[in-house]
Amino acid sequence: MRAEGPIPVSLFFTCLADAFSPGVCIATVEVLERFGATVRVPLSQTCCGQPAFNSGNRKEARAMARKFLRSFPDDGYIVTPSGSCAAMVKHGYPVLFRDEPPMLSRARAVGERIHELSQFLVDVLGVTDPKSDFSGKVTYHDSCHLRRGLGVVEAPRKLLRAVPGVEFVEMEESDRCCGFGGVFSVKYPQISCRMTERKVERILATGASYVTSGDLGCLLSIGGLISRVGYPVKPIHLAEILAGGTGRPSSFAADAASGDARPPGTVRGAGGR
Amino acid sequence: MELNANAFGRNARKALHDKTLQEALGRTTGRFLAHRDAAIAAFPEFEATRERASRIKQDALDHLDAYLARFIAEAEQRGAIVHVARDAAQAREIAARIARDEGVTLAVKSKSMASEEISFNEALQGAGVTVVESDLGEFIIQLAGEAPSHIIAPAVHKTREEISRLFERHLGEPRTDSIPELVGMARRHLRAKFLSAGMGVSGGNFLVADTGSVVLVTNEGNGRMGTILPRVHLAVVGIEKIIPRMADLPTFLRLLPRSASGQAISSYVSIVTGTRRAGDPEGPERVHLLLLDCGRSAILEGKYRAILKCVRCAACLNVCPVYQSVGGHAYGWVYSGPIGAVLTPLLVGLPEAGPLPDASTLCGACADVCPVKIPLPDFLLELRSDAREQGWKTPGEIAAMKGYAGVMKRAGLLEAIERIAGVLGQFFTKGKGISGLPYPFSGWTERRDFPAPAARPFRKLWKIKRGVTR
Ligand code: SF4
Repeated sequence: MRAEGPIPVSLFFTCLADAFSPGVCIATVEVLERFGATVRVPLSQTCCGQPAFNSGNRKEARAMARKFLRSFPDDGYIVTPSGSCAAMVKHGYPVLFRDEPPMLSRARAVGERIHELSQFLVDVLGVTDPKSDFSGKVTYHDSCHLRRGLGVVEAPRKLLRAVPGVEFVEMEESDRCCGFGGVFSVKYPQISCRMTERKVERILATGASYVTSGDLGCLLSIGGLISRVGYPVKPIHLAEILAGGTGRPSSFAADAASGDARPPGTVRGAGGR
Repeated sequence: MELNANAFGRNARKALHDKTLQEALGRTTGRFLAHRDAAIAAFPEFEATRERASRIKQDALDHLDAYLARFIAEAEQRGAIVHVARDAAQAREIAARIARDEGVTLAVKSKSMASEEISFNEALQGAGVTVVESDLGEFIIQLAGEAPSHIIAPAVHKTREEISRLFERHLGEPRTDSIPELVGMARRHLRAKFLSAGMGVSGGNFLVADTGSVVLVTNEGNGRMGTILPRVHLAVVGIEKIIPRMADLPTFLRLLPRSASGQAISSYVSIVTGTRRAGDPEGPERVHLLLLDCGRSAILEGKYRAILKCVRCAACLNVCPVYQSVGGHAYGWVYSGPIGAVLTPLLVGLPEAGPLPDASTLCGACADVCPVKIPLPDFLLELRSDAREQGWKTPGEIAAMKGYAGVMKRAGLLEAIERIAGVLGQFFTKGKGISGLPYPFSGWTERRDFPAPAARPFRKLWKIKRGVTR
């Protein structure tokens, strides 16, 4: 463990997790605090702008990027439970501001600060034991943006393998796109679905009880198919496994989520338990 | 070749329901990929070679005028006649004129994507010339009256049963399901053509500036017969295929077959340098080189220059999950997969190929395998942005994006919307997934559920628990 004293971290909770899976954000906070971070949550944040950027609507994407830069003005780390949002900030913003030198340097600086959760835990904090008591047979799906965009391949696997109750199994084609692709899944839903089906086949072939990933987007697509067909495997975000799993709401989650119909460790709408 | 890239969505849906195609795609792309991975793993210099190839191509493109001038001078000195075509119409005219002037009535053709771009066969037929495709795959689809669906395996979408039926109908051969027998039938048929054709037509993988040579990399001997047996040889090649020096060629010969089919080396490499010289035992008496600009100069001027580095290895197709799902015909023109999604709109214009840049999840697998390091996903993103700037986005999408940005600019507004959505979501779904969304999201929920919004979003929970307002 690297740090002496608390490490200030700003949480970028992502619009998707905020609206659909607050449990993922809660889990992220818990894990960060467990390893000595003081977590700040800038409440003016919204979306990184990826949907606009990826669909070629750069004017709107730039407005989002400006907003993001205003929401995270301080120094220090920004951590997010999403490989694709982190990649957007790191690689998308410099493209958006390539003709605006002052903004470009701000964009680059914020790109240096942002980390995806598993990357932050392993590469920055040097975590080797996630101190999670999750148990079950788990397989891991590489999100394209986490793996190819940020180059994060080993960190999530290392963490998963270090959880004593986790039996980790690699699926075939773990690095193959799940077909979500944001706007792609809306524009070409049939192709998207075909890709998701192939992914789910590979997941089922492992016999795992859980499929996890560092991106909620992938889990929406994978989980949506699992839920529709009722396959016996449960999608769960990596942060939730690291936080200690489902059905065991932490103190924070327990009071905060009281009144919320489901335990925090649940990807909403992705049932099939 | 006929252009219908705008029908991508419709073509794709058809392809998804085509069982034969689906099987063939899985089989072939899987095999190419496995071979490629093994070949790259056994080639420790891959990264360094790739880097070098990328730099050589970049240099060639940065000084294309000079290298092209050199190529033309060297080729002419060795007896070749060089023609440069501005666009497809001019290229067809030149091709037809060459055939007429040379008194050709039968031409055998092999290995050329570029000629597909200009509808070469139709041009020659218009000049009274019969064109026979001589590569096995091309020969098959010519009999079927179809277009290629893969850069290096043009008939990947055909089963052996279909092929046997075609041979029965067009060549009068007996039905068989033995591949060697089918190959034998095609060979017998083609040999006769090679011997009687007045002109051999080829493409070209590389144009070597310092020797004026055209280089052909093939796995079938046909390409070689086509360049040697007929009296006249015509090569149809894009101007971007230039490499500066013969000394650069080995770099590409190492990369191309490994990336394409996973072979360490291709079966044949033909280097055609000018006409037959006195004392040469073989070779064409006349060599014509038809160099296609056809939009390439324009690409060279802009931000997409690097797309012209492409060596047409098809590695990006094989690895692309979208190509694997829908095959090559869905892309509606000569080039398919990620390279097609970028190159087609650049060559024919976004209005003619608007859907292609959107036909990708931006997963990045293509950029990982591209032997000349073309940033394909970045280019797809740029093209999507061009589409917005040039006014090719639908009013619906623009309105949606404006609405999205309007909401996301204000955290308070987002929170209010989330609250309403949360209440409605819980009310309608009872905490389960949503199984039917309205248009334009209805496709999403056809076979997948969508999560119901949380009753209390995280921002709310955080405020309650931590009492923080910032
Ligand atoms: S873009 Fe790259 S991978 Fe695709 S065909 Fe061209 S050279 Fe090969």
